[in-house]
Amino acid sequence: MLLSAQNISKAFGSFLAVRGADLAVAEGEIIGLIGPNGAGKSTFFNCLAGDTVPTTGRVLFDGIDVTRASAEAHARAGIGRTFQVPATFEDMTVLENVMVGAFLRHHHRGAARETALRIVEMTGLTRQSAQRARSLGTPGRKRLEIARVLATGPRLMLLDEALAGLTPTELQQAIALVRRIHELGITLVIVEHIMEVIMTLAQRVLVFNQGHVIAHGKPREVVANEAVIEAYLGRGHRRRRREAS
Amino acid sequence: MKWSLPALAALLLFYPFILTGPFYWDIGVAFLLAAISASAWNIVGGYAGQVSVGHSMFFGVGAYTPLLFYHLWGLPPVAGVPAGMLVSLALAVAIGMPTFRLQGHYFSMATIAVAELIRIFVGTWDLVGAAIGLQGPAVGRAWWDLTFRSELPYYYIFLAVLAVVLYTTFEVERSRFGYYLRAIKAGERAARSLGVPVRATKLKALMLSAVFTSVAGSLYSIKTGFIDPESGFGILVSVQMVIVAALGGAATLFGPLIGALLLVPLQTATNTWFGGGGSGLTYILYGGIIVLLARFEPGGMHEWWQHVAPRLMRRSHAA
Repeated sequence: MLLSAQNISKAFGSFLAVRGADLAVAEGEIIGLIGPNGAGKSTFFNCLAGDTVPTTGRVLFDGIDVTRASAEAHARAGIGRTFQVPATFEDMTVLENVMVGAFLRHHHRGAARETALRIVEMTGLTRQSAQRARSLGTPGRKRLEIARVLATGPRLMLLDEALAGLTPTELQQAIALVRRIHELGITLVIVEHIMEVIMTLAQRVLVFNQGHVIAHGKPREVVANEAVIEAYLGRGHRRRRREAS
Repeated sequence: MKWSLPALAALLLFYPFILTGPFYWDIGVAFLLAAISASAWNIVGGYAGQVSVGHSMFFGVGAYTPLLFYHLWGLPPVAGVPAGMLVSLALAVAIGMPTFRLQGHYFSMATIAVAELIRIFVGTWDLVGAAIGLQGPAVGRAWWDLTFRSELPYYYIFLAVLAVVLYTTFEVERSRFGYYLRAIKAGERAARSLGVPVRATKLKALMLSAVFTSVAGSLYSIKTGFIDPESGFGILVSVQMVIVAALGGAATLFGPLIGALLLVPLQTATNTWFGGGGSGLTYILYGGIIVLLARFEPGGMHEWWQHVAPRLMRRSHAA
């Protein structure tokens, strides 16, 4: 397994945000994490990315324990992440943003710039490469976040709602980009609310509710799971639907 | 635009021959010292966004060490410059390790507190002259005492140091280290996620900044031949560095130069107009500049020019 999270729990004071969650990701897989708001998926995601240290459990990446390793160490090991709210470096240009990522593997400016230019082209940002990040709209920022992580040369990418807030056309382009990234041999874990993304891209899905993993399996199986429907629509949804019809 | 750098270099090089006389040379030296100090501060305060308001600690160490070398062992003050740099470097590590856990205003407040503690300590320490301070050689024993009657040699020594600081900053700007500093300023969490070693990078920036600030302090005390706790470690010393860099444009190569170019003549003018009666005026001037910057142009004059220049170009093309 490339990534293995075992029995992860995270408590904030007396509140348990994640309760004993497990995840195993094989090299080359695309895994989707879904669940209603406040289900604990972002906290779990932060534990995988090294942003939060879990209260219990451990995270192994390529057989090495990275549970308590810093976010920098995660990046060096080959785990890249995007943020739910794009955290682009606003006063730097698009190319400079990507170069910051590229500097992880290339110490010299020329080599970092070359890598960044290649990734900027791949992510469709060439036209905006000299613009400051602050001038980009939501789709541009989301792409820039992905480009920046790609430049770090990751083996595993964690995408936190990287495709949210896009128009249908932009969404299709973004899905195509994620596919291209996957074709490069990069493993992906995607947190997403948009079911279209999960159904199209993910090979396996984990569903979170109230800190627990309530279901996992293939996307078609998971969306038909009664516990999952109940988590999203609430108890008594069948009765309400009957009454409505 | 491609001629602006050679033009600036020529202007600085020939300034003493354009505006002749001790009065203008004195202003020139004060401008260079302010530009060196603010450029040194700019590395950590501007590029890395770690707004230190306690840089006087490094300036003071750099200022005291040369005169202490003369006072204790009769050595030429310039011999104390490397020692000042080393002590400042050690101080930067000792201060940076704990304070870089803090962010934003908390970091700024911590730096003020440390600088003030050092000022109070130095003011009561007999070895360094306590509240009275230290004096350098009244009359130069040889050229290496660097006690010149004219301001002109100081002008060119200071100019050479400014060139070194600016060249280093230019190289930092283009390097991985410079990109990392700007990324940290924009967002530490995002920088960390891209593998940027945030604390180590900030510490490196503080060390580099401290060394140059220490050199600025050494130049000051060697030139004036005197140092006391207030002129070495006083809060105004720190505030002036911040104001000069912010006024011109923090995190830009020439911002501190522009800031010094505006602030030093302004200070000289207010001192000339009000003489001893305006001793508190510097605080009012600094306060006024902070308010104006915060209200109208937080990016400083450099940013303002970036907005204005294209408009002027368009207008001149239209005409």
